[in-house]
Amino acid sequence: MKIQKEAMAGTLESSDLLVKVMPNTGIEIVINSDVNKQFGDQIRAVVNNTLNELNLTDGLIIIDDKGALDCAIKARVQCAVLRGAEETELDWSKLL
Amino acid sequence: MYDLVDYSVVDISKSEQDYQVIKQLLLQSDLDLDPQVTTFIVAKLNNNCIACAGLDHNIIKCVAIDPDYRGNQLNLTLIDYTMKYANDNGYFHLFLYTKPENIAFFKACGFYPIVEISNLVVLMENTPVGIKQYCKQLSQYQKAGNKIGSIVMNANPFTKGHQYLIEFAANQCDWVHVFVVNEDVSLFPFQVRLQLVKDGTKDIKNVTVHASSSYIISKATFPTYFLKDKSKIDYAYMGIDLLIFRNYIAPALNITHRFVGTEPHSEVTNAYNKAMKYWLEDDKVSSSFKITVIEVARKLEESNIISASLVRNSLALKNYEQVKKLVPSTTWNYISANLDKLNI
Repeated sequence: MKIQKEAMAGTLESSDLLVKVMPNTGIEIVINSDVNKQFGDQIRAVVNNTLNELNLTDGLIIIDDKGALDCAIKARVQCAVLRGAEETELDWSKLL
Repeated sequence: MYDLVDYSVVDISKSEQDYQVIKQLLLQSDLDLDPQVTTFIVAKLNNNCIACAGLDHNIIKCVAIDPDYRGNQLNLTLIDYTMKYANDNGYFHLFLYTKPENIAFFKACGFYPIVEISNLVVLMENTPVGIKQYCKQLSQYQKAGNKIGSIVMNANPFTKGHQYLIEFAANQCDWVHVFVVNEDVSLFPFQVRLQLVKDGTKDIKNVTVHASSSYIISKATFPTYFLKDKSKIDYAYMGIDLLIFRNYIAPALNITHRFVGTEPHSEVTNAYNKAMKYWLEDDKVSSSFKITVIEVARKLEESNIISASLVRNSLALKNYEQVKKLVPSTTWNYISANLDKLNI
């Protein structure tokens, strides 16, 4: 799967995150978080896992995190990627 | 309480009441209303306007929060709504200019500083990698050499004067990068201007013609509503424009020199050339390598200095013989074939 167009998901409110995606060659992830010192590695791991499960190969992912839980991070990343990839056929079981 | 805040979009050119409310709100924050902004995202609590953010195409302007409601992260939701509204209207890559004291405020909203003129203004964009990615793309066009020249031009339209300046630079340098300013407020549309520069320089072997990006700032969209001292407007604008060039664009292409025509007639451009030396050459304003500015005397046609404005004036007067003398054959071919489209 590739990011075809710019898209976003989420909000900047506390305990949420804003995910922006745009076309790119290869995967590039930039994470900016209020809780980077404590949870930066954990956030990155969740994002990487989510992208792997979606089989994303190309895209720039920018995350502004306001202390979201893992499940929120996963859901927002999935949503932004699927919007940006203009995916029409979805395998819902893969998103669980 | 903040669940009760309503967000809506208003067009102040259509409602005198909204216009007055927003003007008041901005005044409380010591800001003027930017004349180019008509679309505002407003936050209302019990029908009172407590915060606003304006949108001028891809630039966020005139952000203010009622002093009584500050410190509640209202900025996050406000900018969030503004970004989504911009996104829905096709603007994904957003910019904003603000006073340096507000950097933290906008950093929290996902904006990142590009360049800063101390105590005056900072330019920010809503991606941490925007200018970095642009420079990466640009660096594909990097050429080897010790002396790499650059010229930024509007070329509205491309004249023999532009051609002379590029030839002059190309003779002195190993390679020359020409940037054509990308804004469609000119008589000749951008794609045409770009093509005419390419056509007019195709015999010069060591030149690359680039379309400039959103990182070469247009004076037309530079906001000044937050600058108290209006005499600093030009200083701030030139500083931002030239520091982006020195800190990002020039290093991506190893540019060492910038060529510019002398300006005996226009005070404004003359001041710009002086400012260029300051921002590009002075060691105090930037830690990036200095770029030597070379002023080149303008080419004459009979006793007239060739300039694009002279060409446009001659076109307006239908003095086609004069136009033909001022522009290269490539430009003339376009003009003569499109006289009806130029709306003169």
